[in-house]
Amino acid sequence: MATSTKMLALAILAVLPVLMKASTCIGPQVTSNVYTTSEASMSISTVFVVEVAVKCNNGEKDLLLFADVNGHMVPATQSGTGKFQVSWSDEHKKLPAGTYGVRFFDEEGYNAVRKEKRSGTDGSAVTPIFTVNVKHSGTWTGPYVQTEFVATCVALLVWYMAYRSKSFLMS
Amino acid sequence: MKSLFLLVVVFVAVRSDNDDHAARLLASKSILNQFIVEGKELTVEYSIYNVGSSQAYNVELSDSSFPEEDFQRVSGSLNVKWDRLAVGANVSHAVILKPLRPGYANFTAAQVKYYPTEESQAVQVGYTTAPGEAGIVGLKDYERRFSPHIVDWATFAIMTLPSIGFPFLLWYRSKSKYDVKHKKN
Repeated sequence: MATSTKMLALAILAVLPVLMKASTCIGPQVTSNVYTTSEASMSISTVFVVEVAVKCNNGEKDLLLFADVNGHMVPATQSGTGKFQVSWSDEHKKLPAGTYGVRFFDEEGYNAVRKEKRSGTDGSAVTPIFTVNVKHSGTWTGPYVQTEFVATCVALLVWYMAYRSKSFLMS
Repeated sequence: MKSLFLLVVVFVAVRSDNDDHAARLLASKSILNQFIVEGKELTVEYSIYNVGSSQAYNVELSDSSFPEEDFQRVSGSLNVKWDRLAVGANVSHAVILKPLRPGYANFTAAQVKYYPTEESQAVQVGYTTAPGEAGIVGLKDYERRFSPHIVDWATFAIMTLPSIGFPFLLWYRSKSKYDVKHKKN
């Protein structure tokens, strides 16, 4: 009698996750596509776009993702089954060159991070489902020195050398 | 009398609150480029704000104002959805496109569809702001104005070489002759 109740309890426990419709992803396979602004004249602020395609081992289709973008939690947009996009923008100065780690959470993770943030910590202890590293090579704001300036300097240098050798000869 | 008045006020306040318990989304679409150049990236940013008093459900943003033959998609998707948007939430979405030909382009509004409450059956349709008409500069014109012209300067340097080099060569030849004479003496 006791074993049968134990078996029943175990059976219920096994079935419970399916019944609760937990939208969590087990063993995600992620392909990501990242874009960052390369030229400042093409955008007044630096824009990062992260597109991910997620395939879950447990065949989860109703996944809701949230991303931690520079300490700010943002919901990911869905652009198709399993395809998500996160984008953010800021001034060129505030997004210098470097690698930015974007952590992705499901609903559980998102609530956990929110709880941690409310209790004062920065939420970095929560493990994300996956992380995407965004490599930004900096936004090009123009050459250091204009080629016209270089050409003028070279012309002045040549003239100066000629003038010096001429005055040397004349003396 | 005063308590009755207070009751009426509270009742009216509660009733009006219930009627307004719906989401209201404001959306903006802006082009972040200083110059829109053919063959170079065009950055479009959408921002959606929920200024209502309830969560918005199944928010769908779709932009059909960039036909495939005129704009190539570089990054981002033009049809996206958010499951829900909390009260006071402010989300942004960016799409990177590449204009394929120069000329004038009219950037019109994108469409935002959402359900203002959880139980509502009717979808609410709204539009973003429209950036308006803008010119797409041809690549050649843009490069003429902004590229560093390194090849042009190098060509110029090589072209100045004869007019500087030729007199220098004459002088050098005569100088070396003079030096040789001096040594002989």
